[in-house]
Amino acid sequence: MTPIQMTFSTMFLLGLMGLTFHRTHLLSALLCLESMMLSLFLATSLWALQLSTINIATVPMLLLAFSACEASSGLALLVATARTHGSDHMQNLNLLQC
Amino acid sequence: MNPYLLIVLLTSLGLGTALTLSSTHWLLAWLGLEVGTLAILPLMAQPHHPRATEAATKYFIVQATAAATLLFAAINNAWLQGHWDIQHMSHPLFTSMITLALLLKLGLAPMHTWMPEVIQGVSLNTGLIVSTWQKIAPFILLLQIKQIHPPLLTIIGLASILIGGWGGLNQTQLRKILAYSSIAHLGWMVLILQHSTALATFALLIYIFMTSATFITLKKCKATTINMLTTTWTKAPTITLVAPLMLLSLGGLPPLSGFAPKWFILQELTQQNFIPHASIAALAALLSLYYYLRLSYSITLSLSPNNLPECLQWRVNYPISTPLSSALPAALALTLFLLPLTPSALTLII
Amino acid sequence: MSYLVCVLLFGLMVGSVGVASNPSPYFAAMGLVMVSGVGCGVLICFGGSFLPLVFFLIYLGGMMVVFAFSAALSAEPYPYGWGNRSVKMYVAAYVLGVGCAWKVLLGKWSGFWGGILDESGELLVLRGDMMGVAAMHDVGGWMLVLGGLGLLLTLFVVLELVRGVSRGGLRTV
Repeated sequence: MTPIQMTFSTMFLLGLMGLTFHRTHLLSALLCLESMMLSLFLATSLWALQLSTINIATVPMLLLAFSACEASSGLALLVATARTHGSDHMQNLNLLQC
Repeated sequence: MNPYLLIVLLTSLGLGTALTLSSTHWLLAWLGLEVGTLAILPLMAQPHHPRATEAATKYFIVQATAAATLLFAAINNAWLQGHWDIQHMSHPLFTSMITLALLLKLGLAPMHTWMPEVIQGVSLNTGLIVSTWQKIAPFILLLQIKQIHPPLLTIIGLASILIGGWGGLNQTQLRKILAYSSIAHLGWMVLILQHSTALATFALLIYIFMTSATFITLKKCKATTINMLTTTWTKAPTITLVAPLMLLSLGGLPPLSGFAPKWFILQELTQQNFIPHASIAALAALLSLYYYLRLSYSITLSLSPNNLPECLQWRVNYPISTPLSSALPAALALTLFLLPLTPSALTLII
Repeated sequence: MSYLVCVLLFGLMVGSVGVASNPSPYFAAMGLVMVSGVGCGVLICFGGSFLPLVFFLIYLGGMMVVFAFSAALSAEPYPYGWGNRSVKMYVAAYVLGVGCAWKVLLGKWSGFWGGILDESGELLVLRGDMMGVAAMHDVGGWMLVLGGLGLLLTLFVVLELVRGVSRGGLRTV
C-alpha cells in the first residue's frame, strides 16, 4: 500500500463511517456520500496520473458526472422528504419500521 | 405518471441492467447499477405519500452506499493488481468487500433491514420491479466474481434463509412478508453460488417467476394486509383457487415448480458433503413455509369477519385488465407447472 | 515535493474527518470544500492539469451552491460545529482510528510516492490527463453518450421527484 492509496482509503472509510453512524440530518448523510465519491474521484485520477495511462483519465470524468447525478437525486429526495416529513431529520423517517 | 416519462424510466431501468450485464469493466458495471437506481426512484415515489418518499430515500441511500463501496473495492483492486476486470478480481480483501457491497444491494441477511421497509413503502407494481428486476444486475455481477471467500457466502446464505423465515412470522403486512420471502430465496441462491453458478441462476429464474406471479396476484386482489386477502373470493374466484398453490410453490412443495431449485440445491449440497448446511437450510425453509401457509389459509379457507354484503365489491366494473394482469396467466403457469420441465431448463442454463 | 504532498494528504484527511464527524451540514460542507481544494492541490502535485481544474470548479462552482441551497432548506436554529460535545467525541474517535491505522501500516509501504511517469515531461503545457479527457470525445464516444444519457435521466428523475404541490420545495401560498 502506498501512502496515496492509504489516504484515499482512509477518506472513503471515514465517509462510510460517517454515513453509517449519522442519525441527525439527511443532508449530512448526503454530504458523507459526496465525500466518498470525492475520494473515489481522487483515487481514479491519481491512478490515471501515476500510471500515465491517458485513456483512463476519462474514468474520473464519468465518475464525476455520475456522482453529480447521484448528488442531485439525493438532494431532490431531500426536498421531497423535507416536504412530506416536515424536516430532514433522520429520526423522522420512521413510518415504515416493523 | 406521464406515460412518456414512464417509458423513459422503464427504458433506463432496462438500460442500466443491460449495461451491467454486458460489462467486463467495473466502471461500466457501476454505471449500470447507478442508472438502474436512479431510474427507479420516481417510480418508487410515485404515490404522493410520505411512505413512498421515505422508501425512495432509504432505497437511494442504501444503493448509493453499496455502489460507492463496490467502486472503492474495484479501484483498490486496480491499485494493487493493475486491472479492472470483473472476472479476474482476486485480491481477497477487496473481493470480500465487493461481495458484501453486492449483497447489500441484493438485501441479504446482515444487510437486509432496508428491504422490508422499502418494499412496504412502495406500490405493488414497483415492489415487483424492486424485488425481481433490480436483483438481476447485482446477482449476475456476483456470479462473475470467481474467488469469493467460501465461508462468507455460506454464512450469509444460511443467515438469510433463517432471517427471511423468522422475520416474516410476525408480519401482517403482505409486502413485508414478500420482502422476507425474497430475502430467504436469495439466501438459497447465495448458498449454492460457490458450488454451482448454474443452479444459482436457475433458482433466480424460478424466483423471478414466482415473485412476479405473487405480486401481480396481490395487485389484482388489491391486497396489502392479510385481512384484505379474506375477501379475495368475491373479487377474483379463480385466484382464490390458484393463489394457495402459488404460495406453496414459493414455499417449495413438491409438485410445483418452486420445489425444483430447492431440490437441486439440497442435492448438490449433499453431494458435496455439506450435509449440515443442507439440513439447516431445509429446516429453516419450514419457517417460510409457515407464513405461506398462513397466507393461503386466509385466502382460501377463511371468510372475512364482515357480514356478507360488505364483502362484495361496491362497483361491479372492477378493472380486470391492467397491463400487468395480462402477464398473470403466464407467470402463474410458470410458477405452478415448471417442475417436469426443469431438467431441460437446467441444461439450457448450463 | 514530498513534503508538500505529505501536508496535502494530511489536509485531505483532516477535511474528511471534518465531514464525517457529524457536525451541522453548514460545517460539513466546509469540510467538503477543504477536501476538494486540497485534493486539487494533490492532483497538481502529481502532474495533472485538467482533472484538478474540473475537480475544483465542479465542487466549488456546482455542488457547493446546490448543497448550500439545501442547507438553507434544512436550517436549524442552533447549528453545532466541531466544538460541540458529541461532534468533538466523534472527531477524537476518528482521529484516533486514523492514527492507529496509519501507525500499523506505516512500516508496510511498498514503494513510496510512485512518482510521476507522465511521458510528456514537466515542461509541456499539454499534459496526459488533458489528452485522456479529450480521448473521451474521440474513442470513448459511447461512454460520452452514456454520461449524457445519465445526466438527462437525472434531470427527469429530479423533476419528477420534486414536482407537484405535495412534494416540491416551494409552496403555493
